[in-house]
Amino acid sequence: MLQLIVNGIVLGSIIALAAIGLTMVYGVLNFANFSHADFMTFGAYIAFVLNVALGLNIILSFFIAVAIAGALGVLLDFLVWKPMRRKNADLVSLIIISIGLSLIVRNAIIFIWGGSTRNFDLPVQRGIEMLGVTITHNQLIGVGTAILFMVLVHFFLKKTKLGKAMRAISDDINLARISGIDSDKVIMWMWFIGIGLAGVAGILYGLETTIRPNMGWFLILPMFAAVILGGIGNPYGAMVGGMVIGLSQELSMLILPSEYKMGVSLGIMILVLLFKPRGLFGGTKT
Amino acid sequence: MIDYLVAISIIVGIYAIFAIGLNLEWGFTGLINFGHVGFLAIGAYTTVLMNQSGAPIWLSMASGVVLAAFFGLLVGIPTLRLREDYLAIVTIGFSEIVRLFLLNEEWLTRGPMGLFGFDRPFEAVIPFDYNYFLFILVFGSLAVIYLLLEKLVHSPWGRVLKSIREDEDVASALGKDVFRYKIQALMIGSAIAGLAGAFLAFNLQYINPRNFIPMETFYAWIIVVLGGSARNKGTILGAIIVQSFYTGTRYIQDYVPLASHQMAALRVMVIGVLLVLLMMYKPQGLLGKKEELTLGQ
Repeated sequence: MLQLIVNGIVLGSIIALAAIGLTMVYGVLNFANFSHADFMTFGAYIAFVLNVALGLNIILSFFIAVAIAGALGVLLDFLVWKPMRRKNADLVSLIIISIGLSLIVRNAIIFIWGGSTRNFDLPVQRGIEMLGVTITHNQLIGVGTAILFMVLVHFFLKKTKLGKAMRAISDDINLARISGIDSDKVIMWMWFIGIGLAGVAGILYGLETTIRPNMGWFLILPMFAAVILGGIGNPYGAMVGGMVIGLSQELSMLILPSEYKMGVSLGIMILVLLFKPRGLFGGTKT
Repeated sequence: MIDYLVAISIIVGIYAIFAIGLNLEWGFTGLINFGHVGFLAIGAYTTVLMNQSGAPIWLSMASGVVLAAFFGLLVGIPTLRLREDYLAIVTIGFSEIVRLFLLNEEWLTRGPMGLFGFDRPFEAVIPFDYNYFLFILVFGSLAVIYLLLEKLVHSPWGRVLKSIREDEDVASALGKDVFRYKIQALMIGSAIAGLAGAFLAFNLQYINPRNFIPMETFYAWIIVVLGGSARNKGTILGAIIVQSFYTGTRYIQDYVPLASHQMAALRVMVIGVLLVLLMMYKPQGLLGKKEELTLGQ
C-alpha cells in the first residue's frame, strides 16, 4: 500500500510535469495535441544519445536534450502551427495534424534507434528502505527534479512578464492582442517551455523505467485525464490532476489487475466529462 | 496471379468497408473517432466467439455488428454533448481498453494465442476456392453499404449531418437534436466497422489482439482523408491507394538496405507526413469538393 503510494507520487509528478505543456497548448491554441507525449520520448532518446553514445555526463545531457526538445517545439510552431493559425484552421484539422506528427516522431525514433529498450549510463545504486518501502535513487531524483521544475513554472507564470502574458493569452487571446501582447512571440515561448517540460518528464521517466519508443504514447491518456481533471488551460490544475491520476493508477492495483491501469485514467476522465466538464479547478475552456 | 489479386482485393475491400464507416462519422458528421479499430475488434471477436459457442455464423455476424453499434452508443453518451476533441481522446482510450481486454481475459479470448477454428459463411457448400466467394461477399457487402450510405447522406438526415459538421450551432438553432444525430452516425459507423471485423476474421481465419493495434485506426484515417472526406467513392479509391502502397513497399523491401522494422517505421512515417500535408494543403483530399468543406479555412 505504502509502496504503491510512493510509486504513484513518482508517476504522478512525471505526468504532472508533462501535462503542463499539454494544458497550456490546449488553453491557448484550443486543441488537443496528441503528439505531446511523443516529445517526452524524443527528449529521453536525445538525452540517451548524449549520455551513452557521446559519453557526456547525465546532467549536461539532460539540459542539452531539454533545450533540443524545446527547440523542436518552436520549429514545429514555425513549420506547422503558425501557418495553420494564419489560415484560421479549425480545431479538428489541428488534432488530425497532431496525430500525424505523433506517428512521425514515434516512428522516426524506431527507424533510428530500433524498438528495443535502452537505459542511461548510470551506476546502479541500492534503494533506500524505510518502513518497508523501497525508494530508489532515481525515484528521489525524479520527484525532486519534477517538483523543482513545477516551482520554476509557478514563478515564471506569476513573476515574469512573459509568464503573465502567457496567462493573459490563455484567458482571452484577442483581449491580450489588443493590450499589445505579441501573441506569436508568446506562443513560440509557450511551445519551447511546454515541449521542453515534456522532454524533462521523458528523461525522468526514462531514468525511472526504461527508454523505449512508445514510452510516451502510453502516457498520453493519463496526461489528457490530468488536463481535463484539472481544467483545460489551467497549469496548476494539470499539476494536481497529474498527481491524482498517477496515484489512482498505482492504487488501482489493489483492486484491479495491473494490466488495466490505463482504464483508470479513462474512467476518471469519463466521470469528469459526465459530471464536471470544466474540471475540478475550472479551466479556460470547456 | 489471379488468386493473388483476389487475395489483395479482399484486403482492399475490408479496409474500404472499415474506412467508409469512419467516413460517415468524420467525413459527413465531423466526429473525430480515433478508436475505430476498437469496433473492428468487437465485430471480429464477437462473430468468432458466438460461432464457437454454437451460434450459426449469420447470427454471430449480426451479433458482432449489433454489439459494435451498442459500444458506439456507450462511447458517444459521455462525449458527444461536449467539445469535438473529447470524443477523440475517449475513443483512443476505449480502443486500447478493448485490446487490453482481449489480451488479458484469456478465459474468454485465449489472450495473445488468439482464436481460430470457426465457420465461414457457406464454406461447407462452396465447391470452388473459398477466397473467390469471400471476394464476392466482401465486395457485394461494400456495394450494398455504399448504396445505402449514398442514399442516407443525400436524404434530409444526411444533410443535417453535414450541417453539424460545418456548424453545429446552426443545426441546433434550427431545432435539430444534434446529439441524437451524432449518436446515430457514430452507431452506424461502428456497426459498419463491426461488419468489417467479421470479414477480417473470415479472411485471416485466425484473430489475435495484435490485429487490432491503434495504427489500424490511422490507416482508416489516411484512407478517408486521402480519398476526400465526405466522398464515399474517395474512400474506396483511398483504400486501393493505401493498400497498393503497403503491398508495393513490401516488394521493394528486398532491394533496399533497410531492416524490416525500419521499413515498417518508414511506412508509418510516410502516412504521418501525408496526413499532415493533406490537412495543411489539401484538406478536401483527392475527390472532395473544396467549396463544400470549410475545413482548414
